[in-house]
Amino acid sequence: MLGIDDPQIWIAYLLCFLSAIGCIIYGMIHWNDGKENEEAC
Amino acid sequence: MAVSTPVLGIVVLIYMMVIFYLGWLGYKKTQMTEDYMVAGRKMNPYVLAISYGATFISTSAIVGFGGAAGALGMGLLWLALMNILVGIFLAFVIFGKRTRRIGLKLGAVTFPELLGRRYQSRFIQGFSGALIGLFMPLYAGIVLIGGARFVETTLNINYDVAVLILTVIVAAYVITGGLIAVMYTDALQGALMFLGMALLLAFTYVNLGGVVEAHQALTNIAYLVPESLQAGGHLGWTAMPVFGSPIWWNLVSTLVLGVGIGVLAQPQLAVRFMTVRNDRALNRALLVGGPFILMMTGVAFTVGALSNVYFFEKLGVISVVAAGGNTDLIIPQYINSAMPELFVVLFMLTLLAAAMSTMSSQFHTMGTAIGHDFYREFLKKGELGQTINITRIAIAVTILVSVVLAYMLPISIIATATAIFFGLCAASFLPMYVGALFWKRMTKEGAIASMLVGAFSSLFWLLFVHAKEAVPFGLSQAIFGKATLLSGTWTVVDPIIVATPLAFLTAIVVSLLTKPIPQKHLENCFGK
Repeated sequence: MLGIDDPQIWIAYLLCFLSAIGCIIYGMIHWNDGKENEEAC
Repeated sequence: MAVSTPVLGIVVLIYMMVIFYLGWLGYKKTQMTEDYMVAGRKMNPYVLAISYGATFISTSAIVGFGGAAGALGMGLLWLALMNILVGIFLAFVIFGKRTRRIGLKLGAVTFPELLGRRYQSRFIQGFSGALIGLFMPLYAGIVLIGGARFVETTLNINYDVAVLILTVIVAAYVITGGLIAVMYTDALQGALMFLGMALLLAFTYVNLGGVVEAHQALTNIAYLVPESLQAGGHLGWTAMPVFGSPIWWNLVSTLVLGVGIGVLAQPQLAVRFMTVRNDRALNRALLVGGPFILMMTGVAFTVGALSNVYFFEKLGVISVVAAGGNTDLIIPQYINSAMPELFVVLFMLTLLAAAMSTMSSQFHTMGTAIGHDFYREFLKKGELGQTINITRIAIAVTILVSVVLAYMLPISIIATATAIFFGLCAASFLPMYVGALFWKRMTKEGAIASMLVGAFSSLFWLLFVHAKEAVPFGLSQAIFGKATLLSGTWTVVDPIIVATPLAFLTAIVVSLLTKPIPQKHLENCFGK
């Protein structure tokens, strides 16, 4: 896979991309969430 | 160095002018203590994300750890994954939101203050502040060394002068502009780092004939691994080391787990969650933070490993050999020989930005830890007064200590000092930080006990068991007559693996044995 024989490495390689994409998706889904707790103390 | 000095000099000059402008902007916007300490709690989410990432990633993360990947291979990508999942996702979504809310409710302006107020203990705040003030200069000192070495080699300036120039510039905007200046300049520096690393990845894959081709070429030269590394468990640059071998332990315990988890309890990073207005800002910050870290460590580790293919094709040797045995030189050597000249200029700026963005936050955190947490809250029992001025003086003093350390420390201590600080922070702060946010039953006594056990067991393991530090320090040899107290695999297990679980255990046991925190205070922290 991807020129890498050891699955322990190509899995890590793919997971790095997937987790960064996951961050983007999370940010987009929750784009407007959490505005309400803007209280000041 | 292949680059013409005038070109680089002009580029650096323009960069410095923009930095000064941003520093001045921070100065102008700083009017209250909250502005100076937590950027007025209204920072833009993208500035937060890039500032967090740029502080997280220093020159040593790119050059030092990238070089480590040149020697150990792509197994370090597990650290890149940890950086994104733990250092960004878990940190922002799980830790960040609660830190922001509790920090706001308790009016905390620093990480030690958040812990101290949550557990109603000035001792926790004072001790944490002292620990940061005492050990962070070690970490700041080595980042300073990295930055000054860059200025020295690229601009042909004497090293001692380079240290002073770099310090004065960063100190000027940190002392006057506080966290707003730090975060604004971080954002510019982060953007430069992103561009530099993206181009580095693109150039590397293009040079080596494509993504799969480059990886395949690296897989094919596994037979070149030197015998000494093979004996330690090294199976090639696209394979994990043999399970349980010394190299495996070093990779997994010190690098992947130590640095990967240690980041959660870094005071200069945790304080950033308190700089935004609401949870929405933290959600939006993720959008930038995840890809940013992928571009930093993901690229550094991949390119570091792939440099072996380049050096083998060009010189017939592997990276470590091409760099004369010093892994810290692999990335600079690779950049200088494989990249176009204009890119070398940009990458040098990337490294300077990486050093400065980390240093500025370190200076700010050290100063507030001593000036605010230790002096004002612990020694003066919270007495009001010239907090900002005291903090500014404390920043100046800790910077001075860092500079002295930068002159004194040997070069070989760079990676070690980073690991010491990360490990110490994780063991001392992580259990009570996790408890502060998620476990209402955790008591003040549990927090204090875990902090003390974490700090001292971590230092004990460093000085008496972990061979990498215990042997050069020589304290174990002097007291007990042997280099390390334990032998075999124990000597390669990182302190964080031992001290952090021990501190967690202490926190749980002591908390269950002592009186819970009054319900009223918990309502103050978490709301009803």
